Amino acid sequence: MLFQGEEIKQLIPQREPIIMVDMFTLGEQADEAAATGLTVAATNIFVQDNHLREPGIIEHVAQSAAALAGYTTFRQDLPPQLGYIGEIKKFHIHRLPCVGDTLHTTLRVLGTAMGITLLAAEVCVADDVVAEGQMKIFLAAAK
Amino acid sequence: MTKNEIIAKVNEVLAEEFEKDVEELTPEANIKQTLELDSLSLVDMVALIDNEFGVKIANSELASIPTFQALYDYLDSHIN
Repeated sequence: MLFQGEEIKQLIPQREPIIMVDMFTLGEQADEAAATGLTVAATNIFVQDNHLREPGIIEHVAQSAAALAGYTTFRQDLPPQLGYIGEIKKFHIHRLPCVGDTLHTTLRVLGTAMGITLLAAEVCVADDVVAEGQMKIFLAAAK
Repeated sequence: MTKNEIIAKVNEVLAEEFEKDVEELTPEANIKQTLELDSLSLVDMVALIDNEFGVKIANSELASIPTFQALYDYLDSHIN
């Protein structure tokens, strides 16, 4: 199922101007949980000197993970839950994307324990891997 | 996979991931204390076991695996 544009708000709790995902779909490969996208706009709050800075890339990955979690609650007809980054590890940013670039990010779930999910993310621009790493996230308890 | 192979592999991958000497991972040792696991790093061990052995440890089963011996036995029963 593909979500794009305004539909993303059904999956993540973030709102403008800090929405850092503009496309979400379930993964096409067997070991791929989800794929997300973001076209870097000049107005993006994480853009400086025509490049998406490091915090923007990390926020994009975090919101990609949030969208994956949000998809689960969406299917249960529940609103998206707040999520928190527990840890960022083995994260490497190889280059900063430029304004106009479209990020294509794939997520793999490496494991889940006690409400914490460990994800591996790979962020590409075209065929070029611009960032990769792991992130632990956990969701706030539903009210 | 024999039990001895499981034990050797478990010790190797956990010692490497959590930067411990293999000698510290004795059968009767407590996993959380030995590897200094907290609520955040516990998922690293679960992911590592899944990746290396294809065995997913459920939350409800974690409490029943306090020692390395319990982990070896758990994997042996799920792999063989």
